[in-house]
Amino acid sequence: MTENTMTSRERVLKLFAGEKIDRPPCFSGMGNVTAEGLKKFDYKFAAVHSDAKMMADSAASSYKLYGFECAVVPFDLCVEAEALGCEINVYSHLEDILYPTIKTKLINSEDEMDIQLPSDIASRGRVPMMKEVIRLLKEDIGNDVAIGAHVLGPFTLAGQIMELNTLLKLSFKKQEKVGKLLDMMADALITIAKEYVDAGADYITVREMGATSDVLSPRVFQNLILPYLKKIFTEVKTNSVIHICGKTNDIAGFMVESGATAISVDQKNDVVEARKKIGDEPLLFGNYDPYNILVSGTQEQVRETMKQCMDNGVDAVWPGCDIWPTVPPENFNAMMDEVKKYRR
Amino acid sequence: MATEEKTKEILDKLKNAVIQYDEDTAKEGAEEALKEELNPNDAIFNGLVSGMEEVGRLFEAQEYFVPELLMCADALYVGLDILKPHVNQLDLGVKGSVVIGTVEGDVHDIGKNIVKMMFDVAGFEVYDLGKDVPLDKFIEEQIKTDSDLVCLSAMMTTTMVGMKKVIDDLKAKNPDIKIMIGGAPVSQDIAEKWGADGYAGDANNALKDAINMISSLKKMKEDAERKNS
Repeated sequence: MTENTMTSRERVLKLFAGEKIDRPPCFSGMGNVTAEGLKKFDYKFAAVHSDAKMMADSAASSYKLYGFECAVVPFDLCVEAEALGCEINVYSHLEDILYPTIKTKLINSEDEMDIQLPSDIASRGRVPMMKEVIRLLKEDIGNDVAIGAHVLGPFTLAGQIMELNTLLKLSFKKQEKVGKLLDMMADALITIAKEYVDAGADYITVREMGATSDVLSPRVFQNLILPYLKKIFTEVKTNSVIHICGKTNDIAGFMVESGATAISVDQKNDVVEARKKIGDEPLLFGNYDPYNILVSGTQEQVRETMKQCMDNGVDAVWPGCDIWPTVPPENFNAMMDEVKKYRR
Repeated sequence: MATEEKTKEILDKLKNAVIQYDEDTAKEGAEEALKEELNPNDAIFNGLVSGMEEVGRLFEAQEYFVPELLMCADALYVGLDILKPHVNQLDLGVKGSVVIGTVEGDVHDIGKNIVKMMFDVAGFEVYDLGKDVPLDKFIEEQIKTDSDLVCLSAMMTTTMVGMKKVIDDLKAKNPDIKIMIGGAPVSQDIAEKWGADGYAGDANNALKDAINMISSLKKMKEDAERKNS
């Protein structure tokens, strides 16, 4: 098999299907829009989050400029919380690149946890817009590269709509109450993820970074978070990835157990150790540092890091988080080149 | 004055209340300390802060995680709120005022609050700007309060880069200012490259850094007392 006989899309889909491919693909399940991509269209970062065409143009640009092997939406982490009723801040008053955040929480204390999910989540907030973006991307580059979409994990979404201090303390003190909320979050996420799949997303990444072992104990992860991740991956029937950043070696086994097609870890994970634990079979994506290496490293460091990731046994070269937009073009090119020439 | 035995009992009570995140016992211990006329500074440093030091160790050993840390901090504050009004401000030889906040674009404030707690303990004047703070606000507040320390926190890579701008601006206006940066994406390397004087990569690091600083203050205080006696 050579580079010429396989499109990026085929490579990624075959990877998910467990079939043999020529080399690990270089793609992501998280944001990867670049400042260069935005410049091409003269788009302001703050404006692309709420306009389908602008978002589709920017999302496709990393493929068009550098041959990055996917397009992924949304760029921010607020779509689900917004659909549940939170207001967001896109920082339109600033020229700097800042990702949207949640302005106000729905739940400020323990006694406000008894919320109801809106019955029309799929048509609220920017969910319909994301579906439109996915459709536009399919039309534009859908034959060449896989189109991905991401949703939050249930705990991370709970942290978006609820005062985080309180949520964390209750995850220790009152797990039953938190479990009830997470179940509801899982239902909301299932609805939204299914909409994305219907619109044509080839794979869904569930980002559950709030439950990293830097924050929660592996035991709490297993007892409180894992059941709802399992629920999501059972219900959403497509290629899927569970992403958690920070310390993940102690929960890598649980991440596999969640039922996602692949697990995604960041640079804090010792991939060689993780492999020993989970075996050769499960797909593991990772794990370069998308800022300290890709943006501020030298081209040489970029190449070394990509090679190291692949030598360590990742199935796809994939960033530890969103790619920070100011990545220098020469570094992006160095990454792609290093991965393309790699042979196991 | 309490007997040595009684004093130890109360200090242990305060320490364990923090370790076991027991707010009721922290309250009880602090009230007892006042009733038995313990030096409130002693009760804070050798009771509450001792407990927090142990919590830091438990966190590092991955026996405790962030939820436990937050609950321990709650217990510490219960004790501190009772004891603090009775502390006579000691001249520690540092000005002791700090501007602290999470940079704009970032709405996470747990790490920031842990560091803030240690400054509260040490009797610093703390100007807490909260979270999602516009970068200029740090500079304005530093000038307004003439603080000698500014702490910037960012939980995400995506907001970390804003800190560089604040460091540059602050250092340009006041080269003597000390700046500490903190948050998950921050590294020694970045702190050095950007000209920050200290950094804390995670809640435990923040706690340890802050405890180190408080411990050295404690030592200065003890040295000063030894000289005076």
